[in-house]
Amino acid sequence: MKNEFLRFNVNRLIAVMLIVLLHATAGWAQELQVSGKVTSADDNSSLPGVNVLVKGTTNGTVTDSDGNYAISVPQNATLVFTFIGYTPTEVVVGGRTTIDVGMEADIQQLSEVVVVGYGTVKKSDVTGSIVSVGSEELRARPVANALEALQGKAAGVDITSNERPGELGQVRIRGTRSLLATSDPLYVVDGIPLMSGGIENLNTLDIESIDVLKDASATAIYGSRGANGVILVTTKRGKAGQMTMNYSGSLTVENIQDLSPMMDADEYITWRRWSYYYRDPNNYPRGDEPTQDNDFAIFLGANDPFAWANIMKGWEGGNWDGSKVKTTDWLGMVTQTAVTQNHTISASGGNDKVRAFGSFGYLDNEGTMKGQSFKRYSTKLSVDLTPKEWFEMGVSINASYGVQQYGQSTTGGQVSGPNSIYAGARGVFPYAVPYDDNGERIQSPGGDDYVRTIVDEWKLSENQRTTIRALGSFYAQVNILPGLRYRVNFGPDFRQYQNGIFIDEKSVVRVGNPSYASLTNETDFSWTLDNLIYYDKTIGKHKIGGTLLQTSSSRNRNWSNINGTDVPYTKQKWNALGAIPLESLRGYSSNLEEQQLLSYMGRITYGLSDKYLLTLSGRWDGASQLADGNKWSFFPSAALAWRVTEEDWMQNTTWLDQLKVRVGVGTTGNAAIRPYMTKGGIHSMFYPYGGTIAQGYAPSEFQISADAIMANHALSWERTTQYNFGIDFSVLNSRLTGTVDVYTSRTTDLLQEMSISPINSYTTTYANIGETKNNGIDITLNSVNVKTGDFTWETSLNAAWQKNEIVSLANGKSDDIGNLWFIGESLGVVYGFDSDGLWQEGDADEMALFNANDRNFSAGMSRPVDQNGDKIIDARDRVVIGHTQPRWTLGLNNMFRYKNFDLSVFVYGRFDYTVNTGGEFQGGRYTQRDIDYYNENNKNAEYQKPIYDVAGGDPFFNILGYRSGSFLKIRNINLGYRLPESVIEKLKINSLRLYVQARNPGMLYSKVDFLDMDTGLSTWNRGFVFGLDAQF
Amino acid sequence: MKYNKSLLRILALAGCMSVMNACSDFLNEELTTQRDTEYLKTPQGIRELAVGIYYNLRYHFAGEWAYTYTNYGTDEFRTGGDGSNQMWNSYDGNFSPMITAVNSNTVMPQALWDNMYIGIGSANLLIENASAGLPEGEERNTILGEGHFLRAFNYQKLVRQYGGVPLKLTPNTTPQREFSRNSVQEVMEQVIADFTEAYNLLPATPSAPGKITKDAAAHFLAKAYLFRASEINDSWNSTTKTADLTKGLEFADEVIANRQLAPNFADLWNYTGIDGPSENLNEIILSAQFTADISTRGRMGNQQHLFFLSQYLNFPGGGLTRDIAGGREYQRLHTNYYAIEVYDRVNDSRFWKSFKTKYAINAPKGIYAHGDLGAMYIINDPDDDRFNTSDDLLTVVDPITGKVVPNLLATYVGGQRYLDLDANANRFPSLNKYLDGSRAGTADVPGNRDGILARLADTYLTAAEICIRQGEYSKAINDYINPVRARGAYKAGEDRAAYTDGGAAYQGPPPNSFYDRNSYYESNEIPETTDATDLTITSFDYADLPEEDQRVIDELGHAGDEYKRALDFLLNERSRELMGEFYRWEDLSRTLTLVERAKAFNKMAEPNITERHNLRPIPQTHLDIIQKNGRALTADEKEAEQNPGY
Repeated sequence: MKNEFLRFNVNRLIAVMLIVLLHATAGWAQELQVSGKVTSADDNSSLPGVNVLVKGTTNGTVTDSDGNYAISVPQNATLVFTFIGYTPTEVVVGGRTTIDVGMEADIQQLSEVVVVGYGTVKKSDVTGSIVSVGSEELRARPVANALEALQGKAAGVDITSNERPGELGQVRIRGTRSLLATSDPLYVVDGIPLMSGGIENLNTLDIESIDVLKDASATAIYGSRGANGVILVTTKRGKAGQMTMNYSGSLTVENIQDLSPMMDADEYITWRRWSYYYRDPNNYPRGDEPTQDNDFAIFLGANDPFAWANIMKGWEGGNWDGSKVKTTDWLGMVTQTAVTQNHTISASGGNDKVRAFGSFGYLDNEGTMKGQSFKRYSTKLSVDLTPKEWFEMGVSINASYGVQQYGQSTTGGQVSGPNSIYAGARGVFPYAVPYDDNGERIQSPGGDDYVRTIVDEWKLSENQRTTIRALGSFYAQVNILPGLRYRVNFGPDFRQYQNGIFIDEKSVVRVGNPSYASLTNETDFSWTLDNLIYYDKTIGKHKIGGTLLQTSSSRNRNWSNINGTDVPYTKQKWNALGAIPLESLRGYSSNLEEQQLLSYMGRITYGLSDKYLLTLSGRWDGASQLADGNKWSFFPSAALAWRVTEEDWMQNTTWLDQLKVRVGVGTTGNAAIRPYMTKGGIHSMFYPYGGTIAQGYAPSEFQISADAIMANHALSWERTTQYNFGIDFSVLNSRLTGTVDVYTSRTTDLLQEMSISPINSYTTTYANIGETKNNGIDITLNSVNVKTGDFTWETSLNAAWQKNEIVSLANGKSDDIGNLWFIGESLGVVYGFDSDGLWQEGDADEMALFNANDRNFSAGMSRPVDQNGDKIIDARDRVVIGHTQPRWTLGLNNMFRYKNFDLSVFVYGRFDYTVNTGGEFQGGRYTQRDIDYYNENNKNAEYQKPIYDVAGGDPFFNILGYRSGSFLKIRNINLGYRLPESVIEKLKINSLRLYVQARNPGMLYSKVDFLDMDTGLSTWNRGFVFGLDAQF
Repeated sequence: MKYNKSLLRILALAGCMSVMNACSDFLNEELTTQRDTEYLKTPQGIRELAVGIYYNLRYHFAGEWAYTYTNYGTDEFRTGGDGSNQMWNSYDGNFSPMITAVNSNTVMPQALWDNMYIGIGSANLLIENASAGLPEGEERNTILGEGHFLRAFNYQKLVRQYGGVPLKLTPNTTPQREFSRNSVQEVMEQVIADFTEAYNLLPATPSAPGKITKDAAAHFLAKAYLFRASEINDSWNSTTKTADLTKGLEFADEVIANRQLAPNFADLWNYTGIDGPSENLNEIILSAQFTADISTRGRMGNQQHLFFLSQYLNFPGGGLTRDIAGGREYQRLHTNYYAIEVYDRVNDSRFWKSFKTKYAINAPKGIYAHGDLGAMYIINDPDDDRFNTSDDLLTVVDPITGKVVPNLLATYVGGQRYLDLDANANRFPSLNKYLDGSRAGTADVPGNRDGILARLADTYLTAAEICIRQGEYSKAINDYINPVRARGAYKAGEDRAAYTDGGAAYQGPPPNSFYDRNSYYESNEIPETTDATDLTITSFDYADLPEEDQRVIDELGHAGDEYKRALDFLLNERSRELMGEFYRWEDLSRTLTLVERAKAFNKMAEPNITERHNLRPIPQTHLDIIQKNGRALTADEKEAEQNPGY
């Protein structure tokens, strides 16, 4: 086989023969015993299994497990050391008997390889728009999931934050295009596209690299699933060489921060008094002229004497002194300092026949709100075997078990409640007190039945979500002929999800009702089977590559739920629902969904003189959930790259190291609709005739299901065609490198949940109608600003601009107001009445004109803009206020290195978009965020006057809530220290790095001062991470 | 190299085979968890579709819809403590083809429209499939009758609310986008044709409780003829009017001949448990069926127990907490003074059997024990001098316990309408007709009571109105009005303070706020008596009419017109008998008395209501969806499809 190996390299063989001939004349008879040790130049680790060959002969040996070798050679021989992953090294013996060799890792082969989907290419040969994030970058910031690590790292990839432990943010690659179908990207782990869900269950430290395919010429290879971009995750595998062992550990301490504090007791009491005054000035005193009787009535003194006693402190001495009323710290009761631990231990190693990697990770993520946490145990195992020169196979399994305590649940609640215990605590009156004189908690502190305590609720309500996820990836590859390979991939993906809810009868969401328990089980099994044929051939200046793929995948998802009340024994929670009486059963259901995808793909790559690179691909996809006759579609792509700096006439340009120009076009699809939408399923129901229950059916019935969907027997793919133009450059000896991509795309045959007239007996159907377009620019710049001796300063910037627009809709070029879709506007807009601030007393005449037309404006109320000037505020006055997706996203990282220290500052921002904060209802009944509101003493206020009303008040209050969402925030500051060689050697380890990181230290800039636009909430977590990263 | 080549061949073959194999049926999609529309063409599927359409009848009791378009904005009720749907009552700027939701409970203009058409779609499918797929015979007749009935029922609902609507009589399998409105005349011809068909096909006696019968078809036929002959259609109904009245009376008479009123008005509301006696009265011609079985509940159940209740758990005097018997008070509908004062509250038992006035202590506090009288509404007159200020309310002693009633409200304090005070938006005597003590939990939204769609007293009053329109005043009074009033009067020996409502169905452990007495004597201040009372009237002469009716007629300025007096009396009588039973707005708009009555008796609607409000706005969602000549409607075309004034 070695002969055969040489035959591939005809040129090299000829060269070797020449050298042999030249050397053959001198002392070929004198043998010499040479020995030595082969190590990796990177870290001085010994390399076992290295091939050592006397150049020009078949005489050779292999290094032992310590990297040592011994060989008999002619005196003037040249030794050739070869090893997978390392640059072949030649050493002239020159009479020496001890030759130690430090082999350099093959950069070209290791770090400069980009995963492109069904294969890898050298970075220099890439023709599409691809961003790669390597393991070093991934481990630089300790994060709970891979998405967080990617945030702000790749231009055009916008990731929002979700700080609930175990939850993922939202990912948008180059914005959104689709109105209905999903805008989530496709995740591919080790070559297997995930059919169910994201990648939150992967341990970030098991990830070798993440490659994001952005443009359609790259994503078209995934055809029907490529429209929203593709995130390729490559997990770690064993490398030939010395066994290495790694430990990473971090400890994070975090606290919740709140940008919009609530009014304290004094402020709230005054505000609520004003709200009554403005409801009826004839019956209620001014907010600043309170009376005790009025207070007793409006603060429901009769209902909660303990809260009233607190207010009475303000009335001690007869005159009101609000500062004497104690403010209860409800928030303090539900928050905690969250301590998060993350440990990963891994080992890797192998030789040219067997390579293995194994890891075990443990994440214990405590929430900053009581009752929330996430624990994950993860393991990764991979083995690659090369038993024969012509055969390779490998196994990789990523498995994890995660337990999420979601926190307080209102599912099965009897009152509609806030979505977190923190939000609940914000809702409890500041003047109310938690306990009565007997130390019992007060159910409705403040006496309003709709405002309930949060004390102990984290113990009385539990929502546990466990996920077992196992992702497998198996492959076998046969090298049939030189350049021709056959590969089969099989990827099973198993997910078992359980959601258990238990709410104790003592919980305020169940008050007066027995306990509630619900159990949901979901099993999701999918598999992908690829048959691949690869062919590579180089003929002179021509480099040709071909890929043929046949792939099928299948998903089977089934779920069931049972829920009921009156669990006899609280410890049973949701685990013994058989113990509840039959009449306490509240719901039971089970369901099954199956879908299949079958595809064929062909790809040709052609390179001429390493200057001109062409990639052509075509994929045919057939999906089961589409209608017969429309199941199949073709998704082609083409991309051309020109490496300008390889041209002869560029060789004298010294300032420019590299310049590559890329042009690509591709068509991708999106069929992310639920199965059976073309099938016309009918609703089953049971109707009682007296006590006799009869089976009934109807095509649609709102009381059974809100979905009244008419089957569309012509449903097909949504298609996006995108053009991309890109430039990769490197100048000034690689001091400044960068990539700029410009793209434009059109999405046609939009999958829409189209409203149809219910006269059809259904209210909606799915249809392929309408068109959107999307343009943008992605910019990535890396610069080495300073590089002097021990000090370096590097900056990497990625910025993206994108703008999407609706071109046409179901009714052609007419707006769909119901869905807030407007022709010529972005997807996702704020629509409503524009704001003219507040009505002032001087506007009395103007107000009277509107009040003659069914309005009831008065000074201090919010003032909508009367767009058409008819003095009637109605639907015709509504306009598009702004778009909700940022035009610009920005990630900026500055890295400073001095000797063994490194310091990085990561800044992240989004710009140019509108957020509808909802305004301030100010109905007077519930608690209120501390705001600048209108009252008789403050007429130049930001917000309208409070008017007591349960569901009415100022009808236009929300128009005061539109804000620019732009922000720029320091995501983290990281300080690291690498222990010096001298210490490391004493500790007998390879390397050790310690770091400390400040997470979310603060905002640099934000247009909204009461929301963190990164989380979209008023709250966010701030803390410190202490970490250690050791290699043995 | 040889083995490599042969391997290639094997692999190529294997690859091809796997491809071929995959092609054959890999992408076939089979829906195994649901049946599909094809099933509805089989005999069994047709039978089950006929069951399914009954579900649509439950819509009128399912959510917040019914009261918004039948009770709000009328003389009887206005917005209570919760204003989620206040625009339906006040007709303010937000009442438009496209209502801006105040919250998730706000009812959209398209809710009724959508649901009625979905029912019509099922009925169309049933009629088509049953005609083709069932052998002739009684079963086929019944099923077709049910299909025609539901289609007519839903179209008459639409036409009463919106005026003319698009007629769609056959099912379609691909979306149709071009629709335009038919005239009221065309819709009514279809309604009458369908009800007539149903009448001809349906059996006289139901095969099971809750099934649609010939009587149900006859009852609605009578009402359809009356509708066509009503004032709202005066611009075009002159040719059909006389015949319609005659036919309507025939059908009403037939139903009246077949059935009897329940002996006691309270029998209708004395809900003692699921599917109990009150749900099986002969007076009930048709009711939407609900029961406790979880499989029958769907997403909604009967929710009407929520909306008419005033708040009782937050009384300043305390002692009351929310419980199953007292119900979950959504306080959507505040009883108007008209609704209280239209009754002769001394002689007419129906007021005391329709409204709740007393609550028992269920959260013992201080001197008050469980079961003591905890709250009371005193229904007094302006000249009552017991309560000059609100402080006087806390002086009434309950003779049974000797304790002061800790929470007390009166309709008049110091001669003023006390319950009209802003602070009392959540305090009013609650209509008790839907209380449901059979629910499992205090906060349970789905209820189990049947929803009455037609009962004989309505047939009587329909016949009475037909006679009034025919000028047959004495016939109206003697044959139809007095029998209904006789049932409403107190019988000899009857305990006038006895009280019950659906909350009494709750038989579990405390807390229980149900109190089995009313405030008859505290309110009327008359000596206890068990004499019979007489509500008989003799003519529509002003002087012969009861005082409470004279007051209304005076307020409306109709004293000088006998027909108007008669119609006023009839509408008042419908209030007294059918208070809160989801007819009112349609009765008033049909007789074009909505505007005058809302202005006179509903203080919230008074500033805004105009003649355009006699019809509902065509939902904007509909106008935005439909097409004309393959394109969306222009603004002008939309306006042409819209009702005037919206």
